[in-house]
Amino acid sequence: MMNDETEQFEQRLSRQTLKEIPAGWRAEILTLAREAQAARHATPVTRHSLLSTINHQLSTLLWPHPKAWAGLAAVWIFIFALNFSMRDKTPMVAEKVLPPTPEVVAELRQQKILFAQLIGSSDVREAEPPKFFPRPRTEIHFEVLTT
Amino acid sequence: MRGLDIERLYDGHAQPLYAFLLNFTRDEADTRDLLQEIFVKLAREPQLLDGVRDERAFLIRLAHNAAIDLMRRRGTRDRTKENFAAEKSSPFAPTSDPDEKIFRDELAIALGELPEEQRAVIHLKLREGLTFEEIAAALDIPPNTAASRYRYGLDKLRGRLRPLYEEMKKAE
Repeated sequence: MMNDETEQFEQRLSRQTLKEIPAGWRAEILTLAREAQAARHATPVTRHSLLSTINHQLSTLLWPHPKAWAGLAAVWIFIFALNFSMRDKTPMVAEKVLPPTPEVVAELRQQKILFAQLIGSSDVREAEPPKFFPRPRTEIHFEVLTT
Repeated sequence: MRGLDIERLYDGHAQPLYAFLLNFTRDEADTRDLLQEIFVKLAREPQLLDGVRDERAFLIRLAHNAAIDLMRRRGTRDRTKENFAAEKSSPFAPTSDPDEKIFRDELAIALGELPEEQRAVIHLKLREGLTFEEIAAALDIPPNTAASRYRYGLDKLRGRLRPLYEEMKKAE
């Protein structure tokens, strides 16, 4: 009973004739649409370069507070500039010094020995650089155990 | 990409889109603006129709989205105003039958009092003959929501028009 009533009511509603679209709109809307079509054909499809894509992405990211981001960037640039200007420009001393010749080394060694002899004979050996004689590992191990 | 036959599209779908939009917005000028927007958009971006199986359903979806955008742009103040627009733009054609005229006028007012989303579902069900699944797809809502909006809307209309409707039935 209730369903019949509902169906009848629905049928009644759907029978109501709707307004027709005003005839003049067709020409107006189609003219605008054709203009849009023509404009689309006239402008070549532009492919975004990588740079412009990055620029766009950055703009989207930084858009909420552009001034704050610009300020931060300026501070960083200032810090880099300051750091660069305060860099020590004098060439390193080590770069200029030439390696000592064998004669100089021999002379220095001679002077060291002479100096050691003046101080005392026991230091003569110390003045000479210790010579390294490789020994078997087992010998070293034995030495450690005995001490 | 195929060339878009905008005339064919207009002649095939403009009338139902007009009825849908007029029922939704209750304003002739808004309806014209929205129709223009839809066809110009399609002319600019014909690829939107690529792979579309049901043109009508797609266009109704487009129209619904455009109408929602318009409402949002307008804001709450104009939406309240829109609720009183029933008398301004009735979606029904004029008739010479006095009883029918009274019924259509009352129906237009009653429809105008419904939320626009309920109006949209009722229109698509009764005028376009869509199923709830199709309505749900067109309006981007779950089918159950479409069904409940239809039921609530229809109940309100019946409650509002019952005295007049019963009187007319007796007279018949």
